[in-house]
Amino acid sequence: MRQDFVLLFIIAPLFLAVGTALLGRTVKQLGFMLSCACGLILCFCSFMVFGLLQKTPAHIFIYKVGGHLPPFGIALVFDGLSSFMLILVNFISLLVALYSFRYMDRYTDKWKFYCLFMFMLAGMNGLIISGDLFTLYVFLEVASVAGYALVAFGTEAEDLEAAFKYAVMGVVASIFILLGIALLYSYTSTLNMADMAFVLATKPQGALVAFVSVLFLAGFGLKSAMVPFHAWLPDAHPSAPAPISALLSGVFIKTLGVYALARVFFNVLGVSQKALFIMMFLGTVSMVVGAVLAISQRDIKRMLAYSSISQVGYIIFALGLGTPLGILGALFHLFNHAISKTMLFLNSGAIEYSTDTRNMEKLGGLNSRLPVTGSTSFIGGLSISGVPPLGGFWSKLIIILAAVQAGHFIFALIAVLVSIVTLGYYLKFQRFVFLGKLNLGLSKIRGIPLSMTIPVVILAAISIVSVLLLMPFAGHFLDSACNALIAGNLYKDSFWSAIIW
Amino acid sequence: MNWTSFFHIDSLNGFVAIAVLGFSLIVILYSVRFMKGKPNLFRYYLWTVLAAIGSVGVCFANNLIVLLGLWGFLGLALYILINTGGEGANEVAKKTFVIVGGTDALMLLGIAIIYFLSGTSTMTAINLQMNSGLTITAYLCVAVACFAKAGLMPFHSWIPECAQKAPLPVVAFLPASLDKLLGIYLLARLSLNLFVMNEAMNILLMVMGAFTIIVAVMMALAQHDMKKLLGFHAVSQVGYMVLGIGTGNPIGIAGGIFHMLNHAIYKSCLFFTSGNVEHRLKTTELDELGGLAKLMPITYICTIIASLSISGIPPFNGFVSKWMIYQGIVTDLRVHSMALKVTSVICLFAAMFGSSLTLASFMKLIHATYLGQEAKSNAGVRTREVSWQMWLPCVILAVLCAVLGVFAIQLPLKYFILPAIGCPAVFIGTWQAVLATGLVVIALILGLLAMRLSLIKPKVRQGATFIGGEELDLVTYRMTGTEFYKTITDLSALKRFYKAIEGGALDIYEQGKDLVFFLAKPLHKLHNGVLSSYLVWCLLGIMAMLLWGIVK
Repeated sequence: MRQDFVLLFIIAPLFLAVGTALLGRTVKQLGFMLSCACGLILCFCSFMVFGLLQKTPAHIFIYKVGGHLPPFGIALVFDGLSSFMLILVNFISLLVALYSFRYMDRYTDKWKFYCLFMFMLAGMNGLIISGDLFTLYVFLEVASVAGYALVAFGTEAEDLEAAFKYAVMGVVASIFILLGIALLYSYTSTLNMADMAFVLATKPQGALVAFVSVLFLAGFGLKSAMVPFHAWLPDAHPSAPAPISALLSGVFIKTLGVYALARVFFNVLGVSQKALFIMMFLGTVSMVVGAVLAISQRDIKRMLAYSSISQVGYIIFALGLGTPLGILGALFHLFNHAISKTMLFLNSGAIEYSTDTRNMEKLGGLNSRLPVTGSTSFIGGLSISGVPPLGGFWSKLIIILAAVQAGHFIFALIAVLVSIVTLGYYLKFQRFVFLGKLNLGLSKIRGIPLSMTIPVVILAAISIVSVLLLMPFAGHFLDSACNALIAGNLYKDSFWSAIIW
Repeated sequence: MNWTSFFHIDSLNGFVAIAVLGFSLIVILYSVRFMKGKPNLFRYYLWTVLAAIGSVGVCFANNLIVLLGLWGFLGLALYILINTGGEGANEVAKKTFVIVGGTDALMLLGIAIIYFLSGTSTMTAINLQMNSGLTITAYLCVAVACFAKAGLMPFHSWIPECAQKAPLPVVAFLPASLDKLLGIYLLARLSLNLFVMNEAMNILLMVMGAFTIIVAVMMALAQHDMKKLLGFHAVSQVGYMVLGIGTGNPIGIAGGIFHMLNHAIYKSCLFFTSGNVEHRLKTTELDELGGLAKLMPITYICTIIASLSISGIPPFNGFVSKWMIYQGIVTDLRVHSMALKVTSVICLFAAMFGSSLTLASFMKLIHATYLGQEAKSNAGVRTREVSWQMWLPCVILAVLCAVLGVFAIQLPLKYFILPAIGCPAVFIGTWQAVLATGLVVIALILGLLAMRLSLIKPKVRQGATFIGGEELDLVTYRMTGTEFYKTITDLSALKRFYKAIEGGALDIYEQGKDLVFFLAKPLHKLHNGVLSSYLVWCLLGIMAMLLWGIVK
């Protein structure tokens, strides 16, 4: 079958990871080459999937693993949303792999890094395409465990502490999710998501479903770092090596948290007003808490980590609006934030690489020495703060428009005020690190190699032109992703019709 | 989808766009010499041109989203242009962008509400009645962005600092002219076309305008830096424009809009002249200047004309627009509403008083800079007049001050401003500008003749100064223009006022910063780094969700 290539999403990173584990110690640079190759292949596959989806009716196709029919066999589901996420995840992973080539020189045992990196990639890809809840859980665990190990990669005391906290809280999240899945399985006797939605539609929605909703909200909330489940993130993200921080903040929490949450709530459980309100409320709280805490940080990466909490708050808030416009805003913001935050974390790594510090107060005037880092950080920061003409502005605009259209004026006002604070801390970052006089305390400033600047330049270019995604000629990319969520319960119908087709 | 839904031209925005382009050309002409040899030149010219294009876009925009995008882009341009000033300017640039960009975010909310209420984002199709809290919120949200761009209190605090630290052409270009033009243009558009104003809103605008006039001019009186003094005047004059628009009658609104143009003319002229002084003497501290009138005559004359204009002395343009604003306020006195009457009286008083204080502070500036004795620092230095690229813009603007003043009714009002208002403005009383100007000129000539012909002989007795038998060193013991005005800041009644303002009581940026850090304090305490407490939060979170699920 010509669709067999989709198995590569899982097989390629898994096999290459194992290959790296076996040979990485002896063959130098094997890990780097394999992960770049893996990134390239998967990027190509993601676009293939996107192209294939445009040709299929209803923009969905199912790959039956081993040819067994769902709900008995494992199904891999490709619809607008998963293709959107696949492109984002694999594209950013490719850039991150490229970046890590020189950055990882500061660590020993680089091959372990690449090995874990590919496991993480396998986990994220598997989670995105899995069509049943238990497979989703398994890949979520694969990605998480790789994440715990990568956070501890520096093996300094604080790295280990951060990884420990992250692991404990991550396991708590997994248990919540697993418990939720178990309860649902006992209730519906199926694990396939479409089938489960089908069964749930026929059965009364009692207290059990509500309880499971809470479990999922808490579990995926922990993974996506919603307040009050966020406390691991400000420790974990700064401790990881910069490429991993970029991947964690850029796509990891969005895949494991936001994507899984959206998929389960919109397509399987069906959105209830209560769940939506909780998402909206927690999203708003996250926005405020993240932004307020970010402004007083001195460590660049810590500031960026709090900023991630705040921005994921925007995404969850917009999802919680539940309207088509809100979902569009959420997904577009997810895209823009992934691009900008990856760029900023990669730049924070470049700053650390070049000056050996991440403390903003010890830096200053770097624009004269690292102009590319300076200007791309500027673009990234402004995009997240929502300054036109950068991408973040348009997604923020859509989110606020959607919130007002839905009649949530107070939430809209809070979102607007938070964006002012966001602008404040990104300008502070710019002012302390890149502008002003070159800090004399910086003994040596190393130049940044090309392999570390090219990825951020590509990302900066994307965040400048990302408004084009809203234009009619590029509509499919975002629209079909949104439609997958807007369809809600109709997911099961399109699933079954795709099986037959 | 055709272009008229995105762009629209009428006499109001056509006139603003012409002004924008004119100022851009003049500023670029001025920059050729002033910015020579300064760093970041490419960035400076690139963003100057981009800002000009963006401003024209803002003028013609007929779609709220297009307007918002371009408007925010101008804030970005402002930030980058201020940053070309180097180290000292970075902090100011940040503050400016937080205030300007932050209010842009509020504007976004306002536009979202307007879209929600009217169902369209085409500006010509919107006409909202101010009858609900939501409409008022929408109006205020967008108005705040206009206030911040134009510099109305309490959103003004970036302008004086920016005037002091940013490169001078940037100040003359954006805060002094373009941002004022656009801010007031949008406020006028908002109040005239998009919303139907009610009395409460008018009173609010008038009060904010009057408050700004007085407080900012008081601050200007106490300044010792020429550019910062001008910066405070740039704030104070915004008060007149907003006051004019707040009157809600045609003559007042026309006056406000006319004042916006006039302000841009004389204020950029004043900034240019201070730039000339800075260019030659490398300082704008009033204490270190003095006696420049003989050395830089063209700059001196231009400063005088622009100062008279900003203080509202006939026959210059500042007088005409202020006079129209006063008429607008007086017209409001005929309205039956008591609240409006009382406000009008207070505002009229504030506006006139503010005008006289403006004159007072410009006397300080002119005396300290151009008259009096030469300061130690420049005594002996042969200072020349600046080159033509730098004095020509000043002269053009000074001539415009006079021309627009004398032929106010014949030229700008007739062709641009009154058509834009849409209804005829009624002048109270008579003001024959040409006749009055003729009389003023004749009076001046007669006075000069009298002096020359020695018809009046001033009785002056010159005696030696005795200071303990020592020779008086005029350079050390010179009279500076600033000494006299120190008495104002030392007045016990005003001391506290000045202290509070210097401390940032009216600075929305400082207040906002304090608020955010206040909020952050308990949150920092909560994040104690202990894993078990983090787990407790998770548990509490999940319990709260369960409880809420059951109760609701």
